[in-house]
Amino acid sequence: MRLWGVILLLGALLLGCGKHEAVMVSGSTTVLPIVSKAADQFQITSPNVSVIVNAGGSGVGIKQVGEGKVDVGMASRDLTALEKETYADMHLKVFVLARDAVVPVISSEVYDAGIRALTLAQIGQIYRGEIANWKTLGGPDREILVIDKEKSRGTRHVFMEKVLGDKEGDAPGADLVLGSNNEEQTAIVQSDAAIGMLSHAWLNDDVKGVAIIADGKTIAPTLENIVNGSFPITRNLLIVTQGEPVGLVKQFVDYLLSTEGQKIVKDSGYVAVR
Amino acid sequence: MLLSAKMGKAYVVTCAMVSAMVIVVILGFLIANSWQAFLRVGWGLLDAVWNPPKGQFGIVSMVYGSFAVTVIALSIALPLGLATAVFTSEMLSVSMRVYVKSFLELLAGIPSIVYGLMGVAFLSVFVQGAFDLQSGRTLLTGGILLALMVLPTVITLCDDAMHHIPMSYREAARGLGLYPYEVIKDVVLPAAKMDILGAVLLALGRVLGETMAVMLVIGSIDKIPTPFWNVLTPGQTMTSKLGREMAEAAFGSLHFEVMIGMALILLVFVLFFTVVSLTYFYNPERRLYE
Repeated sequence: MRLWGVILLLGALLLGCGKHEAVMVSGSTTVLPIVSKAADQFQITSPNVSVIVNAGGSGVGIKQVGEGKVDVGMASRDLTALEKETYADMHLKVFVLARDAVVPVISSEVYDAGIRALTLAQIGQIYRGEIANWKTLGGPDREILVIDKEKSRGTRHVFMEKVLGDKEGDAPGADLVLGSNNEEQTAIVQSDAAIGMLSHAWLNDDVKGVAIIADGKTIAPTLENIVNGSFPITRNLLIVTQGEPVGLVKQFVDYLLSTEGQKIVKDSGYVAVR
Repeated sequence: MLLSAKMGKAYVVTCAMVSAMVIVVILGFLIANSWQAFLRVGWGLLDAVWNPPKGQFGIVSMVYGSFAVTVIALSIALPLGLATAVFTSEMLSVSMRVYVKSFLELLAGIPSIVYGLMGVAFLSVFVQGAFDLQSGRTLLTGGILLALMVLPTVITLCDDAMHHIPMSYREAARGLGLYPYEVIKDVVLPAAKMDILGAVLLALGRVLGETMAVMLVIGSIDKIPTPFWNVLTPGQTMTSKLGREMAEAAFGSLHFEVMIGMALILLVFVLFFTVVSLTYFYNPERRLYE
């Protein structure tokens, strides 16, 4: 009798699963806050759909959508030539979801000690290991803790293209190599002499963005400067699908690009594109 | 009756075969997916630079890191664990022993990500302050964290090893007029040697293979420190490299195959240590009790 009960219960669970459909998403931790908030909202309007969002970084997002492991990949950089070639059969389709800036960030102690702006060349020298102390740049006498990111991370591609002139270039001056925005943020907060790179939306009181000096002008990392395009390190945040999206995936992508979706983009601290 | 005995035997043998097959299948999978990498990269593996987009696959710094954290972890965990085991097995009353031991074994059940997060939040901050470092994410931090993680394994296995020594041995030793510490040092520990070695091997395997916790506190930079014994600098282990990059390497690419090759090297290391220590130390006749 009890056995039948268990079987019935399992059967009911299976039926429940059948009705419930899922959209799998993974990738960039920069795009993650937008998509996970949008997923929550989307599931309110479509209660039978679950949207499962995972992190991993742009490289992981593109790889997983290319291999068909997820329905939607999130990326904070363009696809590399190699990725386009590897997944050519999948006809990956790319949608621009938002605009963002990659900001050089420093520990608040260094910021408070007077470092407010750097040139791209100076940042390049730091990452190449040619400048090793904040004193050289007019800051406190402390060795610089140079924080790099994993090679396939979108933030690193965009940042290093401007700073080193090569998006996959080596940074011999680096002391630590970290992954997600969260990890980077934590390491900068824990240090009093760190420099790193973060998406604009991840700045806070302990993690200060520095302005960039270009052509004699100091350009602060403000939303306004990102919108008008004067901040030098900006990028598109992308979502990637396999071919033209259909069904649920299409509904979710449409939602992200709709007025409501773009409002979530703004609320998350990024720049809406539509 | 005969039939059920046969079925029982068949069942047991099948189970043993399945367990043995797992290691064979894993080895086979690793070799099948990495042999091309060894051919194509060849001696390039012994290079210092790792940059997959540029086709550079030097794994020396990761092999170094794995060895460094292993040496640190075992040299902390073994003395600590063995001493604790002497305490629980030889000094505690039997009724207390069960409680103390179960409590210590609880530590083994904590997921490694929890150790990792505690490592980032507390241990790395502590190391940073204690040695006045730029960053607390160092090889030493990884080693200490691993030592804490394998400690319960070492304690509980060493304790079992000593507890299994028959009481009559201790009584005989005491009857000969040995002091309690001499009983432990000259009778119990030597008799339990083989099983203590087993504990060391299991700890070694865990230390070499642990990924999540190490990845978060090690700093993940592919460098060998200068001088090479300076473990107060960030580094990389083979497992932390795998943890960070496995997910993003396209299946079947050279990058992916080199990573699988690294996993193979790791497995070969563990097998090597196991085989060597068993050949050198295993002597069935010296195992005084069965």
